[in-house]
Amino acid sequence: MSLLLCSQEYARRPLYVELLGIHLFTPQELSYVIYHYPLLVLDGFINDSLLEFLREELNMGLLAVKLERWLKRQEKLDEALLLILQESGYYSGAEIGRFKHRLAELRRKPPAEFSKLKADELFAMRQYARAAQLYQELLDRPADSHVDDGFLCRVLNNLGACHAQTFRFDKAYEAYEKAYLKNGQEEMLERMYQLTLMDSRVKLGEHIQAEVSEEQKMAWARRFAEAQLHGAQSDGVMQLEMLFKKDSIRRQTGQTELVHRWKQEFRRQFA
Amino acid sequence: MKGTSMDGLVVGIDLCDAYTQVNCSDDEKTWTIPTVICRNKNADEWYVGREAYAHTLQGDGIIVDKLVKLALKDGTATLCDIRYTARQLLKLFLEHVLKLPAKEYGDRPILRLVIAVPKLEAGLIRLLKECGRQLGFQDHQVHLISHPESFTYYMLSQKKDLWNGVVGMFDLSAERLRYYEMKVQRGMKKTLVLTEYEELEEGFNLDILSTPSGCRLADMILSSCAERMMQKKSYSSVFLTGKGFERQEWAEEFMKKISGSRRIYFEEALFSKGAAYKAMDFLEEKTRYPYTCICEGRLKSTISMNVLHKGQETSVVLAAAGDQWYEREAVLDVIPDRQKTVDFVVTPLDTRQKKLVSIPLEGFPERPDRTTRVHIQVRFLDERTMDVHVKDQGFGDLFPSSGVQLRQEVML
Repeated sequence: MSLLLCSQEYARRPLYVELLGIHLFTPQELSYVIYHYPLLVLDGFINDSLLEFLREELNMGLLAVKLERWLKRQEKLDEALLLILQESGYYSGAEIGRFKHRLAELRRKPPAEFSKLKADELFAMRQYARAAQLYQELLDRPADSHVDDGFLCRVLNNLGACHAQTFRFDKAYEAYEKAYLKNGQEEMLERMYQLTLMDSRVKLGEHIQAEVSEEQKMAWARRFAEAQLHGAQSDGVMQLEMLFKKDSIRRQTGQTELVHRWKQEFRRQFA
Repeated sequence: MKGTSMDGLVVGIDLCDAYTQVNCSDDEKTWTIPTVICRNKNADEWYVGREAYAHTLQGDGIIVDKLVKLALKDGTATLCDIRYTARQLLKLFLEHVLKLPAKEYGDRPILRLVIAVPKLEAGLIRLLKECGRQLGFQDHQVHLISHPESFTYYMLSQKKDLWNGVVGMFDLSAERLRYYEMKVQRGMKKTLVLTEYEELEEGFNLDILSTPSGCRLADMILSSCAERMMQKKSYSSVFLTGKGFERQEWAEEFMKKISGSRRIYFEEALFSKGAAYKAMDFLEEKTRYPYTCICEGRLKSTISMNVLHKGQETSVVLAAAGDQWYEREAVLDVIPDRQKTVDFVVTPLDTRQKKLVSIPLEGFPERPDRTTRVHIQVRFLDERTMDVHVKDQGFGDLFPSSGVQLRQEVML
């Protein structure tokens, strides 16, 4: 237990991290992002904007000079990330050691596996458009010892989820169908069927229809209804209901904030 | 030129309800003015001090006295059908008072002004700072000190042999009888100067000194006070101040009691001179008083926080014993790591009584560890009360601030 002393540096011009859709204001936030999202910072994160941010906004000129040298030679870029963590003092030596180990593990991953992990990370952060792009690139890769059918099915499943999250139900259906044709898993059938419940324009193909029984459809429809009910009781919906119970002034303020947040999230999802 | 610095004047004022005294640094000249103000009945003209009494006696002026007390009570006075707030009157009074040294030294600007008051209270500080602003001073030019602090500065400006042990002082005025004591403790790092005072209940109206029996009574009272307060202690020097000691022949017994092998001095304007020494010190590059002074108006404890800085445990001092409480303010940002409190270490002069004060971060949102930046602001309401403001700053866009703020008063 302790209190970490923060320097008073607070960027007037923060660093925008496009992949996360957020601004960073302090050395601690920068460290947090590096530590928690190694997949997103391993390639291309050390760049001129970051150096300028360190130099001009965080008063870390010496660090910027060192990193600049490495960036020019395109060497020691992983070490550069470790150095930022050390200089900010936000993480302990042991934690930095663990991070170093994680970086090394990630670097050992085959390129396809690495890209999938990165896409999964983006998906988890609701950056669906970027994740979908990476999944698609993986599907376009030539097959090798790591890119087998099992791997491709996992990628197709995740691609389908990305499209479903961005209301592209027809494209989601296509991805699940391709996955089903490769692995024949019932889960894929269920997802395709549930897409038809979400969007009446999406129809099960004839060959798929033939493989689905009425009992299966009923069970999947029941699960879909349960999920909808669960969704209606989620925190987000509850907060929305609370907002509409407030007086008109507070409601209007709340609505404005909420719509602003939704817009931001929406832009990030499709960016 | 005496009483001035390179570019202007440094002024010390002793502001009391009965009398106000003014001194410029290094100058023996003292202006002593009754703390009264008078407005001419026929014109918008104002007089202070004896001139105010004269116009009142002539019948062409209306006088207001006890200006400080009136202003502290937020009082008003109606003069020539115009209602004035006591604050306005006090400001007018000070404006006139400050013209005295300015006139003497050819209208040079006042660079620093230190006002000594018998008791330093938050309300009075705000009031006099506001007066200072209205008189065209910037905040850093006007400082307030207590009489004990003024006494300390006066003493420390004298020859060392007068204060290298214990110094005693009696202050006898129309308003009070006080006994002050200043002790010097030499430490390994810094010399500590401790000044305390006691308000003596035996204070009396100075009018009794106009009759022989009254003088005898006053002498008896003071003698018994001296016996009680000084006992057989050894003193480097003993000082007398206040209007009551302008003449001392009435206090034969008392003088015998306090003298013995002790050196006795009378100083008429001790507090205004002390204030002027302090004012001068503000202009010095390096202080002439490299001591930790503990007295009314100064903190008696050091407030610090144990923090981790770049992996190293360290202590950050927010306020040190001897700092002027009303001028001390500290801000810092911390990020709690596996803890839901911010902790302060309060270390009094007697370090065995060191204590830890924890302020729980109640109402702060639940977030992953180390993702809440806490902004801490510390001020003091008086020398024994610390006012702590704590604000949730969030963690940038990652965890936006909830806006939660806490305020807690901590008794030191």
